[in-house]
Amino acid sequence: MASKVYKGRGAIPGVIEGIAMVSKETIQGWAGVDENTGKIVEKGHPFEGMSIAGKILILSGGKGSNGWSCHFHSARVRGIGPAGFVFPKMDSRTGVAAVVTGVPTVTDLEVDPFIAIKTGDRIRIDGTNGTVEILSE
Amino acid sequence: MVRLTDYEQEMLDGKYGKLKKKAMENIVQYANVLGAEELCEVTKAHVFAGAHSYLHAVESDDIEEVISEMQFCSKEKLSMEKVGCYCQTDCGPMDPIKFKSMGCTEAEGIKNKEYLDYYSKFGINKVGTCVPYLTGFIPLMGEHYVTSESHAVLMMNSLFGACGNADGLEVGYWSAICARIPKWGNHIMENRKGTHLFNVDCEIKTKTDWDLLGYTIGRFLPTHSIPVVQGDLKSIDIMYLKYFYASMATTSGPEMCHIVGHTPEAKTLEEAFGGKEPLEMKTITKADIDCSRKLLNDQSEGKIDYISIGCPHLSIGEMQQVAEFMKGKKVARDVVFHVWTAASIKALADMNGYTQMIEESGAIVLTSSCPLTSEKKPEKADRLAFDSGKQAHYIKPSTDAPVHYGEMEVCMQAAIDGEWRLI
Repeated sequence: MASKVYKGRGAIPGVIEGIAMVSKETIQGWAGVDENTGKIVEKGHPFEGMSIAGKILILSGGKGSNGWSCHFHSARVRGIGPAGFVFPKMDSRTGVAAVVTGVPTVTDLEVDPFIAIKTGDRIRIDGTNGTVEILSE
Repeated sequence: MVRLTDYEQEMLDGKYGKLKKKAMENIVQYANVLGAEELCEVTKAHVFAGAHSYLHAVESDDIEEVISEMQFCSKEKLSMEKVGCYCQTDCGPMDPIKFKSMGCTEAEGIKNKEYLDYYSKFGINKVGTCVPYLTGFIPLMGEHYVTSESHAVLMMNSLFGACGNADGLEVGYWSAICARIPKWGNHIMENRKGTHLFNVDCEIKTKTDWDLLGYTIGRFLPTHSIPVVQGDLKSIDIMYLKYFYASMATTSGPEMCHIVGHTPEAKTLEEAFGGKEPLEMKTITKADIDCSRKLLNDQSEGKIDYISIGCPHLSIGEMQQVAEFMKGKKVARDVVFHVWTAASIKALADMNGYTQMIEESGAIVLTSSCPLTSEKKPEKADRLAFDSGKQAHYIKPSTDAPVHYGEMEVCMQAAIDGEWRLI
């Protein structure tokens, strides 16, 4: 079966393959991500206890602290940051996170990623050409 | 791609040195990620300074190495330069003087001072507070600023008509150096119209009512929306709004929140929505507010060890209230009671005798930080209480102990009684 490719806008260039972590509910920055372990610590979040290390995060946006970006930045410097981001719509918190982590990032997707992509899917994102491809569901 | 002026292009080309070049490279990349068409001039930057723990990701004692990577995203070591606009510091990781009384070591205190002194050499004022608008940082309507404090964005956009986004950690430093930021989001006045209407159908009178109202609206607010609040809100007061916006920016991510008849871009409901219909409407009831209180206040009672008030930092009027309440009373043995404010406000409290009145009770007045930003609490903290939704919400994931929430007076009484009781 041919893999599905969705078109969007490339925000940070580069191509990466990885496992998707998809949540319409965004993660809070402060007390959301433990930058020492890469684990989500936000109480009651669907990802609570899961690690962002090497994953492609698909989130609706940022919330909480204006320092949302620094937790992903710090995790990236420690080598346990996300491998890529997909944001259906960019906001100021996610925009900075994309720049400071420097990982491939795609935004403005033509489909609703929360319907099209599920946590655990293996995907390839191309931040240069602005595409998201589902390799295996 | 973003369009640059000649001066901006020169900064990007390196005509004004390596740091301005790197700052501009980051700003240009950020602008392109957002889809901004041009930049705007920033007049004020409120920056997250001090030896914060997230900086430890760079294993180095060399401040410039740490700053280069964590603030400027540069592998090459860069030196700070004189800032390009007015700058003052946000909360740091500790009280710069009484850090030992909050559990920080001498070495941590020295390291923090080293960072603050370093930034200060380049023109960043050591103010150390999350309430910049009470300490000399007041951007006016249409003025472009940057801040690392989430509730300060809501305050300064919504109340003053100033222009900022919720992006100020690394961006704060980039903008401080090159005095530019992408003209995007709330930097464009047409983008600031309301999207969601909240009708308040319950009594909002006290500081805690406002705090819980903000927390509640945030719980219901979809990502990327701008709330418009209307109702019988005659009790409105800037000192209540700091809690309202702090809690709202905890459970959600808005950068603008109109209050009909009170905030300048919402003189009427029609103006708040720019003549458009709200995408959704929600009535906030007493049951919604009660639910937020339950979420924040652990439903248990017993002996308490740690109480902290002053998030956002207390104003001089609030320091007066605390002093008048605590005068002649004693904090229970084995209870640690912290009262947080800005250093400049503490200086006024000292002059007015409030610090002495508070500390004679056994409470400790601290400045320039809070339990959340310091990530410190007393060693024995088996039951904790806060009068701030923001603080209670964020501290919960860091402890297995019950976390309580209540009115400032309830927290102070618990400090005196040494016990938290369910009302």
